[in-house]
Amino acid sequence: MTTGTVATEGVRLVYRRFSAFHRFNHYLVMTSFFGLVLTGLPLKFKDSYFSQQLMNAIGGVEAAGFIHRTSAVLNILYFVLEAGYMAWYVAARKGPIFSDDSIVPGKKDWQDMKGMFRWFFGRGPKPALNRFTYWEKFDYWALFAGTVLIGGSGLMMWFPEATTRILPGVTLNVALVIHSNEAFLATGVIFIFVHFFSAHGRPESFPADQVIFSGYLPVEHYVHERPLEYENRLKDGTLDQVVTLAPSPQRRRMFGWITAAVTVFAFLAATYTFLLIIWPLVF
Amino acid sequence: MAGGARNSVSGLAKEFTFLMRWAFSAFVLYLAALMLVAVPALAQTQTTVPETSLTDRCLTCHRQEYLGRLQVDEQQKDLYVDPAAYKDSAHGLLPCNACHTGFSHDPHQMVTNAEFFAETAGEACRNCHDDQFEMYKQSYHGTLTRDIASDGVEAPECVDCHGTHAIQEVATLEYRQSIQDVCGTCHGGRESTFLDTYHGKAITLGREAAATCVDCHGAHSILPISNPQSTLSRANILSTCQQCHPQASQGFTTFLVHITPTSPKAPVIVFLVAVFYLVLIIAVFSFGGIHTLLYIYRGIKDGLYFGKGGH
Repeated sequence: MTTGTVATEGVRLVYRRFSAFHRFNHYLVMTSFFGLVLTGLPLKFKDSYFSQQLMNAIGGVEAAGFIHRTSAVLNILYFVLEAGYMAWYVAARKGPIFSDDSIVPGKKDWQDMKGMFRWFFGRGPKPALNRFTYWEKFDYWALFAGTVLIGGSGLMMWFPEATTRILPGVTLNVALVIHSNEAFLATGVIFIFVHFFSAHGRPESFPADQVIFSGYLPVEHYVHERPLEYENRLKDGTLDQVVTLAPSPQRRRMFGWITAAVTVFAFLAATYTFLLIIWPLVF
Repeated sequence: MAGGARNSVSGLAKEFTFLMRWAFSAFVLYLAALMLVAVPALAQTQTTVPETSLTDRCLTCHRQEYLGRLQVDEQQKDLYVDPAAYKDSAHGLLPCNACHTGFSHDPHQMVTNAEFFAETAGEACRNCHDDQFEMYKQSYHGTLTRDIASDGVEAPECVDCHGTHAIQEVATLEYRQSIQDVCGTCHGGRESTFLDTYHGKAITLGREAAATCVDCHGAHSILPISNPQSTLSRANILSTCQQCHPQASQGFTTFLVHITPTSPKAPVIVFLVAVFYLVLIIAVFSFGGIHTLLYIYRGIKDGLYFGKGGH
């Protein structure tokens, strides 16, 4: 503390990374995605033991279809909100679009990735990461683009009669291939290969990173995790925009419980996905 | 004379009493005889021991799995009948000779020529299901013969699609779920492409209303698509789709059920999209997997997970 006064015992400073809007959007996409994967995977892997068990447990194919469509509507709502936010961000010039600080991929991401691989093999230090890392950008844009593809093809199959009034029937063949494969890709990326690892499996986040639920992370972590953003803000004098007092202990505890609950659910969902896919290959 | 008259009156009374006693005794004897004959007869009608049914008599031998097979000309006839499966079947209450019309002897003579079976096959079903049999006779299947040499194929008969002793109601989920395998016996490969469509996935997972082969192609009156009378001919396909999709238009009918997206025979757009995704999924999962494993390796090696931490 530069003022020279002794910091009061218990005062905690946090870095506010996500606004209430972004956290809400994550809740929305998270719950709807779980609902979609739960009821969609059994169709792709229809011969798996777990597919039949799941269908029986939730009350049959019709019930699964209802859950799938309800979740789809929520998922589309996420997309509309996020796209609206993007349009507003650009139109109102809320912030930089192509700087290192933004979510748009740039040259630095390529350098960061090479730097990370050097670090993996012990041939260099861990690169100084900015506000959004390259894997976070991949996650964000893959989901955004994936929602267009899965949502679009899904709507075509939801309303096949209306679709084929305008387009030829082979459109539905293409829609099924896109929907099925893109959804499988998204499930793998989110549940196994990229997102869950980034949120739970990295040494920096293990066993769970609660920043998307609470919106903040302790400044000590921030300084180490996003050193470049910290340095830039220190230089520009904009650190006070993002550093605030920590929420009350009750709120901190609440976010802890939410994170724990989601972590358990995420673990179960990943296990379900893994078993469902592996089962027919083994038995 | 009055006394004599009194005597004669009393004599008559004695005579009458004697007659009455005799008649009473005879009546009792008659009743006893009646009971001796009638009661056992009555008792018998009330507690009849159930007559052994014909089915049970046949199954005495045919429930034995070691009965094996019988060579009938070219064919192997399995002589074993699973009693539980038969009694649970749609025909479970019928006696054997309702279908096996030639077998009234008990025990029967061995039948070792195929002509006998050829005569009774279909004809037996026809006794109850004449409408279906007539439709079948008009269908493509019905015009074929059992002679492979002349047609190149062997005509399916009732039992080839419906089964024999374990025959099921066609409206049950179990039977509907087996239809593509029944058709696939001869039309191999078509069942797997069907199963990859939403209809196939839904019926597999238990949605009874999902369309199977027969809902589009027809059942007893099935004809090749090239035949104008076919349910899937150019003229009829729309009304066939509209049975379940009332809003369907002509464009709807051009959806392709029997294609394998990753086969070059599929429409080029479907093939290209399918191959693109195959490559993309392999690339993304491989890269993501390697990146993840290396990250974990570095994290463990540098002791970042527990203790000093990377924060």
